[in-house]
Amino acid sequence: MNKSIFLSVIFHIIIISLTAISFPYMIRKPIDLPPIISIELIQISDFTNIPYAPKAKKILEKIKKEKERVISEQAPPKIVKKEKPDAIPLPKDAKKKKKIKTKKQNPKKIESEIKQVSEFEKKELFDPDQIAALIDKSKVETAETMRKSDKLTQSQDKNFIASGLSLSEEDALKAQIFGCWSIPLGLPYNENLLVRIKLKLKTDGTVIKSEILDHARMNTPGQGFYKVLAESALRAIRLCQPLRVPTTGYDRWKDLQLNFDANEMLKG
Amino acid sequence: MVLGNSIRSVLLVIMAAIILSACATKTTKKVGDYEISKISGDTFTGVETVKYLATGVPDRVFFATNKSILTTASRDTLRKQATWLRENKNINVTVEGHCDERGTREYNLALGERRANAAKDYLMTYGISGNRISVISYGKERPVNAGSDLLAWSQNRRSVTVKAN
Amino acid sequence: MKNVLFLIFLLVVFFAKSSFALIEIDITRGNLNPLPVAVSPLYVESKSSEALKELEMGSKISKIIETNLLRSGLFNPLEKDSFVQKPDIAHLKPRFEDWKLIKAQALITGKINITDDKLRVEFRLWDVLAAKEIMALAFTTVPDNWRRVAHIITDKIYERLTGEEGYFDTRIIYVSEKGPKNRRIKKLAIMDQDGANTKYLTLGNELVLTPRFNPTNQMVTYMSYFRNLPRVYLLDIETGVQEVVGEFPGMTFAPRFSPDGKKIIMSFAKDGNSDIFTMNLETRVVERITEHPAIDTSPSYSPNGKYICFNSDRSGYQQIYIMRSDGSNVKRITFGQGIYGTPVWSPRGDLIAFTKMYKNRFYIGVMRIDGSGERLLTENYYQEAPSWSPNGRVLIFYRETKSGSQGEGFSATLWSIDLTGYNERLIETLTDASDPSWSSLLSK
Repeated sequence: MNKSIFLSVIFHIIIISLTAISFPYMIRKPIDLPPIISIELIQISDFTNIPYAPKAKKILEKIKKEKERVISEQAPPKIVKKEKPDAIPLPKDAKKKKKIKTKKQNPKKIESEIKQVSEFEKKELFDPDQIAALIDKSKVETAETMRKSDKLTQSQDKNFIASGLSLSEEDALKAQIFGCWSIPLGLPYNENLLVRIKLKLKTDGTVIKSEILDHARMNTPGQGFYKVLAESALRAIRLCQPLRVPTTGYDRWKDLQLNFDANEMLKG
Repeated sequence: MVLGNSIRSVLLVIMAAIILSACATKTTKKVGDYEISKISGDTFTGVETVKYLATGVPDRVFFATNKSILTTASRDTLRKQATWLRENKNINVTVEGHCDERGTREYNLALGERRANAAKDYLMTYGISGNRISVISYGKERPVNAGSDLLAWSQNRRSVTVKAN
Repeated sequence: MKNVLFLIFLLVVFFAKSSFALIEIDITRGNLNPLPVAVSPLYVESKSSEALKELEMGSKISKIIETNLLRSGLFNPLEKDSFVQKPDIAHLKPRFEDWKLIKAQALITGKINITDDKLRVEFRLWDVLAAKEIMALAFTTVPDNWRRVAHIITDKIYERLTGEEGYFDTRIIYVSEKGPKNRRIKKLAIMDQDGANTKYLTLGNELVLTPRFNPTNQMVTYMSYFRNLPRVYLLDIETGVQEVVGEFPGMTFAPRFSPDGKKIIMSFAKDGNSDIFTMNLETRVVERITEHPAIDTSPSYSPNGKYICFNSDRSGYQQIYIMRSDGSNVKRITFGQGIYGTPVWSPRGDLIAFTKMYKNRFYIGVMRIDGSGERLLTENYYQEAPSWSPNGRVLIFYRETKSGSQGEGFSATLWSIDLTGYNERLIETLTDASDPSWSSLLSK
């Protein structure tokens, strides 16, 4: 009997010491979720935006800076919208990667991604009724309704249906002005930073007349930055003359409206 | 047989408890050939930097990060100080409160004051008159260890009793 | 009938075709490059008797304007070697084509004149692309004040081109540090915002901490260990006279002025508890603002004087609270991860800057006054105590480095960062420095 008690105690000691020692090894590693691959939808703009390449370096530098900066608790609502309601809660790293990736993308692409989700939910732009309307009504009316839906997005689809410029024509012009516009860094980032300028152009792309819509805002107290923003937009237009206009169809684009919006760049 | 079983269970429990209790966090530093346990639960427990008011009466107590709570060891030290102060009725002291450098300057001034008062209050519960003890806080301005590591910081979180006359 | 309809149809189609939609193009990107500006050297009349002196001073003034604009991070002053036009002609009628060639978008020209011991500086700001003058001003003062003229000119240019008030004609008060890490010698120091004109206000015989200007920049409140009694003091910059603030039976610290300059708000510590008090400098009346067993410190008034933000650990750890200036309605505003300290209200009233400690790292950040919209601007091993520029755009703070086991390699430096998180910059000081505080515009 003693022998059995003795053996039993020995075995118990062995088991206890094994469990005590092996605790660290038994700590479970969290299950690694598969890395989220964001699919970059290649837009036509990718090819026509080649002149943008030298600027890309600046943007990449900016992104590197962003990486070093700490992302605050309250992520901008934009990012939150992107995830589907029943998405798997992302591990922090994947979230960061996604945020940086979206910055790299041309803003158009972000919109396309949102569209991918909203296609199933909202059916905004591919509404068969609206397409029917396009066929029936004159071009002017369609342009108005389409644009009213969302001023700030760069929907290629809208422009393609409504405007006279083809994608590559519009891209060429945009890329040119992107390069000329020095956004004043001193603007308050939480205000409405939209300046709309109407232009009358000559056939060679030079500006005959420019008009700032919302002109009254220039002198509103407390909106001093608006004047600065407007002036920077005007400088951009002047710097960029002659504008990169299409070679044909002057009647289509002799009147142009440029909507300068500094929000995306400054809100980061 | 039943008794044997219960003895076994008791032994099991005791064994388990002993093994688990050895897992408290420790930071050790080698001094010579032997390791000395210096920080326990974020509070310094070593003898480096400690001066003595008299034989066997350490002059300081240590604190955990952001805290002004007295540990058992601190209370032990303060009791010795109180005894010594009772024996030397003509000596007045100043208790200095200090913090480590890992905090904002202004808050550290207040925290140092709290630590100094924690020590003073304890001395007073052992009958030392408050008139004999003045208090001053140095926040993080006067570290005793100029290093930037856990050991240095734990040595700097202290209340030091200094002879005032 | 059919023919008429057909005609109408044709007409409709014809008109529909020719009335094109107004094409709208969204420009949502540009470059965030600083605006290229050309600062032409100040023009000196060759017949002038003081021509040499004027030339020297003129070039120094334009250099200060350049440096100020560059350091703001919003402008890129171009190299003078590329300037084609001479200063005299440029000041009268710039040939904008020449300036456009070197890619300048704004041009600054000026003229300097010293007669009868009076300095007169004239400057013009030109929009190169629009080819017109957008500002012209002249200043007269004593020659010794030439630095301030340069700063005031920069303020005017900055304001015209960004829409915001400038911050160049300002001073910074800070603590100058020297010596071994555990026995630092600290003195109060004051300097121009660009680092020039450093002056020491105390001798370094006692520890001095956290100095702040009053709204007129003539007085400083700070904490000193004079005679080994840590108390809040008031110092007159002109006379150098120092006096203790109030007769508190214990340590007072963390002082600031109220926006009207009439009161000093500070913490008073006694028996392990720190509460916030104010003292009226005229009536000497002391008022208690907080009454709580927790540590209440680092108080800062809102610019309208109606609210106070402060640091308290009443929840267990340092967090930021807001209350009315009479101490009522205390509300906690920080709920994020980590601990928060050193809250300071922006002169614009819309933001509070703070220090945050999280996972053993220190952050400088800003948040709205209700605690939302927290944005962390910079991260470091150790940094704290942000102070706002008078236009609420730039924050100055200090950093300390990790040191070796004997304190070697330790240094304390001043840094500034723009509200947007850009343009983090070291501010050069003659010695190590900490506890910086920005004055208001001197010219106001």
